[in-house]
Amino acid sequence: MNDFGLFLNGINPVLFIVVPLGFAFGIPLLGMISKKIVKWVPVFVYSFVLVGALSNIPDVLDKPIIIQIGGFVPPFGINLVAGPVGILFSALIAFAGLMVSIYAVVYIKEGPEVRYHILYLLLLTGAMGVVLTGDIFNLFVFFEILCISSYTLVGYFGNKSGIESAVKYLIQGAIGSSLLLIGIGLLYGLFGTLNMADLARQISSADPVTVFIPMALMITGLGVEAALFPLNAWLPDAHSSAPSSISAILSGIAIEVGLYAVIRILFTIFGISDFIMFFVFLGVLTLLIGEMCAFSQNNIKRMLAYSSIGQIGLMVFAFAIATSHAVAGGLFQMISHTLGKGLLFMAAGYMIIRSGSMKTASFEGMGKRMPLTCVAFTIGAFSIVGLPPFIGFPSKFLIIQSALAKGTVLFTILTGLVLMGTVIEGAYFFRIVQVIYFKKGNGDSERNEAPIAALIPMFLFTAVIIIIGIYPKFVLGILDSAASELLNQIDYIRSVLG
Amino acid sequence: MDIQGVIHFMQNYTYYIGAFGLIFIGLFIMLVKRNLIKVILGLSILETGVNLFLVSVGYISKGTAPIFSNASIEGKSMVDPVPQALVLTAIVIGVAVLALALSLAVRLYQHYGTLDLRQIREQRW
Repeated sequence: MNDFGLFLNGINPVLFIVVPLGFAFGIPLLGMISKKIVKWVPVFVYSFVLVGALSNIPDVLDKPIIIQIGGFVPPFGINLVAGPVGILFSALIAFAGLMVSIYAVVYIKEGPEVRYHILYLLLLTGAMGVVLTGDIFNLFVFFEILCISSYTLVGYFGNKSGIESAVKYLIQGAIGSSLLLIGIGLLYGLFGTLNMADLARQISSADPVTVFIPMALMITGLGVEAALFPLNAWLPDAHSSAPSSISAILSGIAIEVGLYAVIRILFTIFGISDFIMFFVFLGVLTLLIGEMCAFSQNNIKRMLAYSSIGQIGLMVFAFAIATSHAVAGGLFQMISHTLGKGLLFMAAGYMIIRSGSMKTASFEGMGKRMPLTCVAFTIGAFSIVGLPPFIGFPSKFLIIQSALAKGTVLFTILTGLVLMGTVIEGAYFFRIVQVIYFKKGNGDSERNEAPIAALIPMFLFTAVIIIIGIYPKFVLGILDSAASELLNQIDYIRSVLG
Repeated sequence: MDIQGVIHFMQNYTYYIGAFGLIFIGLFIMLVKRNLIKVILGLSILETGVNLFLVSVGYISKGTAPIFSNASIEGKSMVDPVPQALVLTAIVIGVAVLALALSLAVRLYQHYGTLDLRQIREQRW
């Protein structure tokens, strides 16, 4: 096998990390030539990455692509593992990144624009690195790239609330990263390796009590970024004070990458294949608390942020059931949340600009003023709630079905609680939709649509939401092989170490 | 464990005690202090503790640098270089986080005129 053939079978996944990173540091130079070029750089970079990720799908369904950086054989060198999970996430990151960068071309008008685009590329590079890497310390480094650029972008406008949220986010995130690093150090001290596959092989024969402390430290550390229940106090502030384009990425990509790292560590490294009751309860608790807090908000971006907490809870619930159906459902829910919440934040961004306020009451009569944006918002809301024919329906259906397939009374009760969370979710989203369409605004009722460059990504998100909602079979193939990659530890070890 | 055992443990694993001591001191400061600058100092101490812990994972008592400059040095008496490479990376990341935290503290002071975290509560649940 030729590891260095770039175009042998699809584009080499190393380029998904290298090209954005290179352009991120090239942007200041381009910015000297013209500020107009700079805002198109992320669009260009992520169209390339999206094509690259899609071109790899046929190959990874066959067998995962293992790339040895610098030609060092694992477990000695750093390697990238582009299996079905890695490629699924990189395609998702590239698609959301591309759409949000088109939106940002018109949305980001004030502030240090050049630096915005540098940090935006770095944020997505970090996310891409986390999902592709096969080395645990490398995961930490990419995770820090993701975190540091998101702390900065939360405070992008430099206003009171933005800086305050960035400080809160930074302090909590820094404690989380330190805990993760202590966990990695303990694992290295115990097993003398940093390669995920090699760690997995050695941990499977180690004493479970010994590896419990590093596991707990790592899960707690990553749980801060993944917004698991007691660790998510930063999220509503950070997601609501960031620029709307960044809220879309933070909600759609950043917390899900954190959750990906949690499940990769639990399933692949520590080999927990049976379901874990602790995480089942944690998921349901996160879901209910997120939805109930969202219900009581009258600030639209805080409401969407709390709704993200609820959705993360649903994903944790799905992954903790740990049957192949449930894990596929959890991954499907991640896709549907990225699309739905990205669309909601993008539409809400321009609704806030036009109404001049984040209060939900100020959106009265918006349906007449910005009809296309409001349709996009409504479709996003219906998809998050889980109405057919949108993508949220098959993903939620898969999770509920696999929870009920467990067959015990406990799981039936928990499923009932999850459905109750969905009802609360429906209540507050329908309330917003009602305000938008059925209340007469008393301000100006002139038609004032979002600019066309913002409508294009919203339209494409809507199209994907409806297409996958009607034909979920498009993604079910890769979801099933991704679920089996996560649950089948032995195959992962064998594919990396040979 | 008898006294001898404790002394033996102390002699051989002093650096672990030091490292975790720093980690807990840092965490304590971050959780208890209300002044943002002190919280950032706590973060710095926490990071130092973590770095010290990583180095001590690869340390061998009276070990030498892992360079084959002298043929008489055996591989067994060399310290593990991997944790040192990790610490270099972790230090760089830590510096970035600290610099960002301090610059955010400057901006926060410009907005609120105070660094007391109890008085900074624009955002509520």
